[in-house]
Amino acid sequence: MDRILVWDWPVRIGHWLLVGAFALAWLTSESEAWRLVHAGAGGTVVGVIAFRLLWGVVGTRHARFASFVRGPGGVRDYLLGLVSGRPLHTAGHNPAGGWAIVALLALGLLTGASGWLTYNEVGGEWFEEVHEAMASLMLGVAVLHVAGVVVSSLAHRENLVLAMLTGMKHGTPAEAIRGARPWAVPMLLACAAACAWWLAR
Amino acid sequence: MRQHAFAILVGLCATTVQAATPAELLAGYQSAAAQQSAGFQPSAQRGAAFFANRFGQSAKMPACTSCHTDDPALAGRHVVTDKAIKPLAPAANAARFTDAAKAEKWFRRNCTEVVGRECSAAEKADFIAFLTGGR
Ligand code: HEC
Ligand code: HEM
Ligand code: HEM
Repeated sequence: MDRILVWDWPVRIGHWLLVGAFALAWLTSESEAWRLVHAGAGGTVVGVIAFRLLWGVVGTRHARFASFVRGPGGVRDYLLGLVSGRPLHTAGHNPAGGWAIVALLALGLLTGASGWLTYNEVGGEWFEEVHEAMASLMLGVAVLHVAGVVVSSLAHRENLVLAMLTGMKHGTPAEAIRGARPWAVPMLLACAAACAWWLAR
Repeated sequence: MRQHAFAILVGLCATTVQAATPAELLAGYQSAAAQQSAGFQPSAQRGAAFFANRFGQSAKMPACTSCHTDDPALAGRHVVTDKAIKPLAPAANAARFTDAAKAEKWFRRNCTEVVGRECSAAEKADFIAFLTGGR
């Protein structure tokens, strides 16, 4: 198999921005002195996800939800392949990882929304509990996600973390994306900055 | 998955919301303080001094009054985020000190950053005595 381009620039920059912003939001969560930074970091998480939802429809091939969100059958086949030592190779996200991604995106939005409601005291006190629970659930799924990345990397003998940096994976030339779309990165950053500003306001 | 998350949430809310009165919270801190120093009596005066004290640990929020204003019966303003904070005194805001877990969370958070350490049970008892305007 050849080394081909699968992850465009918005996917890669968006991913690491998401990881950084989530970590910052987590680390500043208990402090009032850092509350503004917390809301800004959380807002960045929401902004990156908002852009990613759009990109999942109009982005490059492997970024599209239609290309990696599979039914339960696809997930079962992939997991069975993984335990039997013959995992099905996908150029983009594997079917199990696809669901972790959907869960992380949904939890990021729910965490951000409940955080904003708490921040502005809209609705009752219980949104604070929802906010904390969603954030913890998201951390739990992120841990599973990283474990999945490690397992898949070993099973496919391919460093998937490096691939999220370089954009390159094994695959056939027909599976490659044509361009890395660097021009969409400013739009991603603008969306992240606008959400950070608006939610922390 | 969503149903499970919801069930967990309902459980969390049920365990953390314990209806109480300011007098009960005060009594709890008072008896904890009495175990450390026998015969401890809460003092509204000490509570008032604590509230107004500029600990100066943090440049942005040197005192409790930085956010809660000099008068606990008035609405405050968060110095960092500029968001409104409802009055701390139960006379002005009946929801205050009616949830032990909530009071503990904010004592821990605000004391750690403003005072530079956790507050003692005695300080908490004095503080509530001051805010409830008694003793
Ligand atoms: C950076 C701003 C800030 C400072 C400084 C601050 N607080 Fe607060 N405090 C808050 C906020 C925000 C809340 C939650 C507001 C709400 O529930 O409406 C709060 C709530 C509380 C509560 C919860 C009361 C209840 O049960 O509803 C207590 C107790 C409290 N603060 C004590 C203190 C003490 C003691 C200090 C000084 C050592 C202090 N605060 C300094 C921002 C601050
Ligand atoms: C999506 C990323 C986010 C994560 C992972 C996150 C995480 C957390 C966690 C774990 C807490 C609980 C801290 C504790 O009590 O120990 C918290 C509190 C809080 N968060 Fe977030 N948060 C996020 C986004 C936001 C946003 C976007 C806002 C506001 C616009 C926000 C506002 C708040 C506020 C106000 C609190 C304090 C609530 C209280 O104790 O009353 N958060 N956050
Ligand atoms: C809170 C933390 C994290 C969140 C919210 C998160 C979220 C995501 C999302 C949404 C995707 C899909 C990318 C896309 O198609 O746009 C993804 C993929 C990926 N993430 Fe994360 N991630 C987190 C942490 C991490 C960490 C710490 C690592 C590395 C150790 C990592 C490695 C990867 C890899 C390698 C992929 C591609 C998986 C594949 O090849 O199918 N992630 N992540």
